[in-house]
Amino acid sequence: MIKVNNVSMKFNLGIEKNFSLKLFFINMFKSKKNKPKKEEFWALKDVNFEVKKGEVIGFIGSNGAGKSTMLKVIAGVMKPTTGSVEVYGNICPMIELGAGFDMELTARENIFLNGAVLGYSKQFIEEKFEEIVEFSELREFLDVPVRNFSSGMTARLAFSIATVVDPEILIVDEILSVGDIAFQQKSEAKMKSLIGGGTTVLFVSHSIDQIKSICNKVVWLEHGKVKKIGEAKEICDEYYNTQVS
Amino acid sequence: MFLKNVTTNLKKYSFLLRQLVSRDFKVKYKRSILGVVWSLLYPLLTMAVMAIVFSNVFKFSTPGVSYLAYLLSGLIMFNYYSEASNLSMSSVVANFPLINKIYIPKYIFPLSKCLFVGINFLLTLIPFYIVLFATGTGVNIYHIFLPYAFLCLFMFTLGMGFILSAVSVFLRDMFYIYGIVLTLWTYLTPVMYDINVISKSLQPFLKLNPMYHYINFVREITLYGRIPQPFTWATCIVSSVVVLIIGVVVFRKTQNKFIYYV
Repeated sequence: MIKVNNVSMKFNLGIEKNFSLKLFFINMFKSKKNKPKKEEFWALKDVNFEVKKGEVIGFIGSNGAGKSTMLKVIAGVMKPTTGSVEVYGNICPMIELGAGFDMELTARENIFLNGAVLGYSKQFIEEKFEEIVEFSELREFLDVPVRNFSSGMTARLAFSIATVVDPEILIVDEILSVGDIAFQQKSEAKMKSLIGGGTTVLFVSHSIDQIKSICNKVVWLEHGKVKKIGEAKEICDEYYNTQVS
Repeated sequence: MFLKNVTTNLKKYSFLLRQLVSRDFKVKYKRSILGVVWSLLYPLLTMAVMAIVFSNVFKFSTPGVSYLAYLLSGLIMFNYYSEASNLSMSSVVANFPLINKIYIPKYIFPLSKCLFVGINFLLTLIPFYIVLFATGTGVNIYHIFLPYAFLCLFMFTLGMGFILSAVSVFLRDMFYIYGIVLTLWTYLTPVMYDINVISKSLQPFLKLNPMYHYINFVREITLYGRIPQPFTWATCIVSSVVVLIIGVVVFRKTQNKFIYYV
């Protein structure tokens, strides 16, 4: 389903320095030798793994270990510096809610706009429109511009659009629960049913308990390298011990 | 192979493209009372102001044809270019939050801006025809060739949009530089004056500007009522296709690096 072959990802940390014309000209007159070497940073280094259909894979590791970068490479947002990623099936990235919302548009218009941004077809949105409205509980605000929504209402709308999918591969960065207490429970249940629904899931979380309960396999990343891959419970316990001690 | 890729890709993302264009259109007029009427009124009012300034203060005139129609034909063409190229330039940078999260083909942003301003451009043809009739210029059969010039203008603008949006990702100063360039460009294009008021020795330089030829094509037909010279036909299509190809190549070569400059 997903094959990650020798993926490495390089960032230039010094990129900020070369941003203006002034520095560009200053650097032009400097000899090649004196040029400050851009600091290179490998967010991922020779990462290899395979995900089979229906597997739920968790990614663990400390901040900056490369988890989010890994997800972005798989989602196609970034091209790896070297190596390749093969993906069979359509991906639904549930990385950020409300991407592409336009505050001036009404909720109804935003459902179509945001849906299109997420890669849904027109037909799919029309079919699922009722379901989205029903789930968000915002029926009476359908024709109100989103700029007049409270942040909780916006989040509810965004969540309802993002989770209406029926994807083959689901990418989840933390289980999201938005809105008031009642909606939080509802959204968490929805997320869990999506993840447990038999689709292939790539899941990033800092909650070890969630990973343990949801995933069958875990990839442990450290400084951009795969430290260990294996059975969820085993790896999680080992990771937990190294982090706590 | 490349063309086939483009068409399947366009098909896949045509819904998103339509959504983006209609979003721009809705947002543009949502909170104004006159709404879409502004698209018709705005070029007319600009024309009126410029006509007062240039025909009274600077005593510009265009022998044989109405100065108003002359001015407006240049204005609608150049306004399309300046607005569409400007919006395209900032479209990629403005959509970084999206590009950073979800895979969307990046060319869709400049393309949607060029199409959106294109719809506006078609609307400005209404006041243009009103002026053509009001000034007694009238229409003729050759008007059927006008879409050719519009298509060339579109391709040229899209090509420039690709180049500008890609360059501005790496060099944010481009936003300021291009503002100045565009002002200069407006005055170097015979929009409000006749190219013949410029000395003969300088005219060849002004004719290096593709915008001159697109505008000239439209004026030959609408004002002078004749078919443009074969040379004009050729310059229009060659300049626009070349710029579009350069734009596509530059954009394709650089788009994978955009993400590092977020």
